Amino acid sequence: MSDELIPKVKQMIIDSLRIEGMSPSEIETDAPLFGEGLGLDSIDALQLVVAMEKEFGVVVPDAATGSKVFASVRSMADYIAENKQ
Amino acid sequence: MNCWMFPGQPLRHNQPFPETADGAEIINLCRNATGFDPSTWQDDGGLNGEHVRLQIYGTAFSLCRTRLLRSSGQEPDMVLEHSMGIYAALAACDCISEREALEMTARVGVVLARMSEDKRYALGCIIGLGCPAVETAAANHGVYVANFNTSSHFLLSGERSRIMAAVEECAAAGAFSLSVFECDAPLHTPLIVEVATELESIFSDYDYAGPRVPLLDHIGQQPLTSSRIPAFLLDELLSPVWWQQSYRAAGKLGASTFVEVGAGDALKKFNRWIDSESR
Repeated sequence: MSDELIPKVKQMIIDSLRIEGMSPSEIETDAPLFGEGLGLDSIDALQLVVAMEKEFGVVVPDAATGSKVFASVRSMADYIAENKQ
Repeated sequence: MNCWMFPGQPLRHNQPFPETADGAEIINLCRNATGFDPSTWQDDGGLNGEHVRLQIYGTAFSLCRTRLLRSSGQEPDMVLEHSMGIYAALAACDCISEREALEMTARVGVVLARMSEDKRYALGCIIGLGCPAVETAAANHGVYVANFNTSSHFLLSGERSRIMAAVEECAAAGAFSLSVFECDAPLHTPLIVEVATELESIFSDYDYAGPRVPLLDHIGQQPLTSSRIPAFLLDELLSPVWWQQSYRAAGKLGASTFVEVGAGDALKKFNRWIDSESR
């Protein structure tokens, strides 16, 4: 179930963060999104929270949860699969 | 219309200077004007601490980016500035020279750094909490909202212990992300009045030409004129930065392309958030 979400999550990241010149296939599924990976920060995290809620109806309640959810594309997809209504 | 945006002091110096002739010239200019080399992070001992170095690095990096953009044929139709980004913005608009921008940054930084000799100050970054709750937390603990960046991104400024208490209140109120940074002075607050006379004296040492393109101030979103610049340079350190209003004002004036001329991409991210709420 969560594997099917991976391309959608990658596209959501590109669209919501306005990442130019990058296709979904260029984002590694298991690479860290913050720090050395895509280099995202807390401003990006909040943008992703809003995008996830809008697109998948899934709420990330706080930064502590967010740090686990936004560890990688796979962890995002897993969280969406577990919490999608 | 093309709008160049000049960010304030970066939090770290993780972007190396471009290895170009312009990069080398700016580094050299910086060494001569301030005694500080932003490429080696060495100074002649006249600077008082890491924050002053970061402030000079921020201005030097923006000046370098300005040159690179110009060498690729780009020019702004309008300029926005955030916080201490004003000094590089003034140089980009030909109000002062590059050397003067670097020197002014260093002189202001040294005066501000003196404020930390008696008290410890900090900035609190609050993300994901609405303005009323942030303003309430600030008022409850005697600190100030120094940056109104977006509807959900704010910077608090004030004495460190008070900032910690205000940040805790914001956490309890449901903020998504919080962080605290040490700083030399309570930037963008009335507390700066303590060094206002010295700052005023610095700003009166320079002659200012009128901006070659509209340069919107971040307090009232009005185009700066040569006569207004010295007073604004002091006011802006005593008053909050209203970034969302500045970005929207530039849009209303016709700006459609925004280029961040400095280290990092915080302003672009603020704009992205503001745009997402406008849709």
